[in-house]
Amino acid sequence: MKAPSVTRRQGLLIGGILFGLITLGLLIDGGGQLIGDVAGVFSVSYLASAIRLTVPIAFAAMGGIFAEKTGVINIGLEGLLIIGAFGAVASLYALSATPIGANIWLAFVLAIVASTIVALLFAIVCIEFKADQIIAGLAVWLIALGFAPFASIIIWRRTSSPSVGTFSTISIPGLSALPSIGPLFEATPPVFLLALAVPFSWYLLNRTTFGMWIEASGEDPKSLDTAGVDVRKVRYAGVLLSGVYCGIGGAGLALNTGQFVGSGDTMIDGRGWIGLTAYLIGNYNPVGAFLASFLFAGLEALQLQLQQIAGYDVSSTLVGIIPYVAVLIVLTFVGRTRMPSAAGEHYDSDE
Amino acid sequence: MQRRTFLTSVGAGATAGLAGCLVGEGDDDGGESDITVGIIYSTGGLGDESFNDMAFAGIEQAEEDFGISYQNAEPDEPADMNDMQRQFASDEDIDLVCCIGFDHETDLAENAEEYDDQRFALVDAVVEADNVANYTFREHEGSFQVGHLAGLLSTMDYAHGAGETNTDESRVGFVGGQEIALIERFEAGYIAGAQHADDGIETPSAYAGSWNDPATGQEIATGMYDEGADVVFHAAGGTGGGVFQAAQSAGRFAIGVDDDQSISAEEFSDVIVASMVKRVDTAVYESIEAVVNDEFESGMNDLGLEDEGVGATIGQDFDGDLPDDVIDALADSREAIIDGDIDVPDNLDDL
Repeated sequence: MKAPSVTRRQGLLIGGILFGLITLGLLIDGGGQLIGDVAGVFSVSYLASAIRLTVPIAFAAMGGIFAEKTGVINIGLEGLLIIGAFGAVASLYALSATPIGANIWLAFVLAIVASTIVALLFAIVCIEFKADQIIAGLAVWLIALGFAPFASIIIWRRTSSPSVGTFSTISIPGLSALPSIGPLFEATPPVFLLALAVPFSWYLLNRTTFGMWIEASGEDPKSLDTAGVDVRKVRYAGVLLSGVYCGIGGAGLALNTGQFVGSGDTMIDGRGWIGLTAYLIGNYNPVGAFLASFLFAGLEALQLQLQQIAGYDVSSTLVGIIPYVAVLIVLTFVGRTRMPSAAGEHYDSDE
Repeated sequence: MQRRTFLTSVGAGATAGLAGCLVGEGDDDGGESDITVGIIYSTGGLGDESFNDMAFAGIEQAEEDFGISYQNAEPDEPADMNDMQRQFASDEDIDLVCCIGFDHETDLAENAEEYDDQRFALVDAVVEADNVANYTFREHEGSFQVGHLAGLLSTMDYAHGAGETNTDESRVGFVGGQEIALIERFEAGYIAGAQHADDGIETPSAYAGSWNDPATGQEIATGMYDEGADVVFHAAGGTGGGVFQAAQSAGRFAIGVDDDQSISAEEFSDVIVASMVKRVDTAVYESIEAVVNDEFESGMNDLGLEDEGVGATIGQDFDGDLPDDVIDALADSREAIIDGDIDVPDNLDDL
């Protein structure tokens, strides 16, 4: 890849100028009050809300990293999240009719299995049959978008499920009793899973042999092959991991709310696409992807809060496009994001 | 003559039996009227436990009271509506074509002109033609009623079902789907109603930006309850499921929309204190009644509290448990709106 046309310093300068202009505009236009109100919004409950909104986005983003690092671009993240969400609610509903009972953890695992199976199909199509990864990824999304509401109608006679039950809140003993920040340690399991998954993913990618294989499979599959590692297997592993992560993200979202809504864009409502932009901005680093996801979720939570303060009319549509504008700016001006060199290319080992 | 009557009824029975596979057809055992109605639903279709099922209830009531017969048509997508309208319009046996939902508007504007000897009824939209009777709703009046109820509950100490008011603050919330003029009517009426109960009441409101995102609905409502809101009213379709979930988690109250959601979303009946019901069934019934009595008139029918087109329906778990002075106050404000003593705003600027 060519060196970025704008250096990092220039990128920061552009960002700084834009930020300065916005600040100036706010000050002139009676924005001092706005800044005060925005500052007033930041509280522990705001932070907790932003983290809850981060969960599905960050899991999708980290899943996307594993797939793309191995060289398979998975843009079907949105579809995998839909399968995870639907799978969780449908399993819980079905389990409640069996002698096992409505075991929420079992439903959670079944949802991850469902999402992983769909990821496996995607992997077979892309790796064995050398299908175009972008088209296959779009197909995953479109199939999920059609299948989930269709199956809902078969099960519940309408596109949305009734309420089937939710994860209960877990408190971490000791920490949750802390003054002021205590509420952050009282959350549903998916939030804690995210807190574990971010460092785990970073460690897996950067400090293990498997992580090196993933890196090599996406950057230089030939060398990996020469070293005696099966590139196909590494790529399968990467795509399956993206299925597991999206399953956790989708199921976490649905089991927090306790129902599946399949009308329109379904209850996932574009979170997978935002996950895709999040890992691009995070430059394929799980920690960066998490921070980008947290930034987008935080802006969304901020927008929801600002609407409630009388006098501000922040358009939710406008805030909704921020992730996409941000990824354009980062990719065009800052140019720090670099795709794995062999991403999107099929690998044939010349045996 | 007797033999002929017999043959006719056998023939009718056989036709009805055959047609039953494709469309439901009312039999005319109730009696005296020979009117046949063709009814075309909106894309949600029958079984949506809301809009379309209410239209069906209206036609069933008309069948019982007047002995009319009817033919159902359920379009899979808005593109099917044109054909269905034309088919019913050109059928000489059909005396009235009922079109349910605003999606019918564009097609009907053309077809009403082409089939100028057919009579049409349109629900939730307006086509200005000599042969179209339009039925719209004064949603702000019904929302005023539930807003009044919410405001009264917020200022008192009340506990029932799974909810309990917080006596420290006088605060009620509103969650909308997409920010469109129709939903702002709900918001404006609701806020005016809450202020009618208590001048100093806080009324935070926010739009989720989507009809199918219960997770965002849940975040908004959780934030409102955390801040001390006692009741949250939603006009947000599938997003509203998250509002009910948040009410149950917080142990506070919520208000449903369109139909009696304490019945259609029964899992949450212990927190749904009331619903702002929109009587689509009344609209359908009235349009048929007019044809039966040979009083069909084209033009606007704007159904408000007076016509019982909208109104507050107390939730099934709360019916009979609300204090008498609350019920009396609601009846008083209802009278005052009907008599014109209270002017309910239908947009936020007039608030």
